[in-house]
Amino acid sequence: MSTVLAQIESQIAKLSSKAVRKNTGVITTVADGVAKVSGLSEVMYNEMVAFPGGVIGIALNLGEDEVGCVILGDVSQLKQGDEVQTTGKLLSVPVGKGLLGRVVDALGNAVDGKGPIASSESYPVEKIAPGIMARKSVSQPLFTGIMAIDSMIPIGRGQRELIIGDRGTGKTTIAIDTIINQANINRVGLASGDPKFRPVYSIYVAIGQKNSNIVRTIAALEAAGALEFTCIVAAPAADNPANQYLAPYSGAAIGEWFMENGMDALIVYDDLSKHAVAYRQISLILKRPSGREAYPGDVFYLHSRLLERAARLDGKGSLTALPIIETLAGDVSAYIPTNVISITDGQIFLETDLFNQGIRPAVSVGLSVSRVGSAAQIKATKQVGGKLKGELAQFRELAAFAQFGSDLDAKTKAQLDRGSRIVELFKQPAFSPISIELQVVTIYALQKGYYDTADLKKVTATSVSIREFFKARQDALLTEIRTKAALDKDLEAKIVAALDAWKSTAA
Amino acid sequence: MSAVPAKIRAFVKQLVQLSLVDGCVSAEQVAGILEYLEKNPPANPLASLQAYHKAIAVEIAKGEARVEHAGPVTAEALAAIASALSKRYARPVSPLATANPTLLAGLRVRIGDDVYESSVAGQLAALSAAS
Repeated sequence: MSTVLAQIESQIAKLSSKAVRKNTGVITTVADGVAKVSGLSEVMYNEMVAFPGGVIGIALNLGEDEVGCVILGDVSQLKQGDEVQTTGKLLSVPVGKGLLGRVVDALGNAVDGKGPIASSESYPVEKIAPGIMARKSVSQPLFTGIMAIDSMIPIGRGQRELIIGDRGTGKTTIAIDTIINQANINRVGLASGDPKFRPVYSIYVAIGQKNSNIVRTIAALEAAGALEFTCIVAAPAADNPANQYLAPYSGAAIGEWFMENGMDALIVYDDLSKHAVAYRQISLILKRPSGREAYPGDVFYLHSRLLERAARLDGKGSLTALPIIETLAGDVSAYIPTNVISITDGQIFLETDLFNQGIRPAVSVGLSVSRVGSAAQIKATKQVGGKLKGELAQFRELAAFAQFGSDLDAKTKAQLDRGSRIVELFKQPAFSPISIELQVVTIYALQKGYYDTADLKKVTATSVSIREFFKARQDALLTEIRTKAALDKDLEAKIVAALDAWKSTAA
Repeated sequence: MSAVPAKIRAFVKQLVQLSLVDGCVSAEQVAGILEYLEKNPPANPLASLQAYHKAIAVEIAKGEARVEHAGPVTAEALAAIASALSKRYARPVSPLATANPTLLAGLRVRIGDDVYESSVAGQLAALSAAS
């Protein structure tokens, strides 16, 4: 028996005396969150390197005799001459359902004070997007809960739809509304016990935002009960640019876990303009050659490789991306906006003028487009709202023309009146998404002329009243619309009967 | 990226190649190069010599196994380390032993950029980093 023990002891002795090989380097300079290191002859591109004091960095510039590393932590303790070690690992973040309801930083560490993240798996932050064969075309809808978007610029699961507009035009609100709507749909779907129901989990990535704004967003999600289906990746303005640069990729990795495991996820990048600015800052400090607007040459690849990771996979799940871009004075032809417009499958353009006129959400229907979403739109919405975009386009044309004279024929007056009513109907307060069945009813009422008698200023209130009536008294009918997802003659008759019943109570 | 101009870097690279004999820095070759440089100074002599000095120091470090030890180390052990490293790096390696009581026990061998850690202090540091 003693020989057995001796054998084990010798094995332990071998293990404990085994030399660990590390490739090392020495810090030559530290400035602006970037360390230049001599040595590290075997470091890999994007490899994590360990600085003294548990600080982590990433090797981004592999020079002949120097390595440029961005530091993801406190740089105040680092100094020239400190030893740096390679780790042999690429940066990865924890993934899984344990992240739902949590707020994490760009490295996946909890920052919400609710304890460590319950996760047994991790995914690399940088990953090559799924290839051609793995993908499937977009055909399932992702409802935003915003009538103007769901009826005219529909979004499908796996799509990349850009939200673009000036500051203070309600870009984040649209994204938050969409997240809240997913939570509402998830609750109804999970309660129904339908085995075919696929919930959508959300990831909100806040890049370079004020901490107070992030707190407001979390509060809005919590108040709407959406936080339990959402993970927030926060890289606020106070964070170093390296974390701001990495945050969207970390969020994408978290979303990819849902997609790879047969679930659907929605990711919001708020916003990619600040992400590009953070990357520009890092690139300039690393002395990479700068191009237009001082952005580095690979700023297109920066966003294309991120957004390409959103996809619908054959036999698996999907990842839908809603990137946000902030424009200056409505200039969509600036460098970063044009880049992201060309990568995405459409854009929702928000206009300051519309916002100031009280048309909220301030969606510019003429400039907004969804390239693949119409394939994902349900039949009921197509039936009731198929012509709305054209009608609104005609209305805008006529409205511009009507400004020059008051002598208009009856037909033009009728078209103008109808256009104004559609605009009023699409007004919707923040953080109150409308379910698709209620949207169908609301627009159906428009098509049948139920708002024609109402005063123009009361159209919005009338639509709210219709929805309240249906929610309170026509629950079975709403469920039928939701499950059938198309209007047949029988269903139409039922909706008309219910609308008549509403009319009699409202009168 | 580096502060050293590309022209000087290329020049120094050539000098370093000339300084090596069988992958090791040769004192005679270096002396010859320095003599030549004194007679035919390059465009920026100070920067070139500083860069050359740095590059030769890196090359010397590649052929030198600096063995830090807490307890006594026999000449046989040093020779064994040197021969194992010579085999691994396919170049002659000479050992250079220095006492380092902060290791507590064991050895730390440094050759070029690589560090082989087999000391108690290293294991304790790894443990504290993991916790």
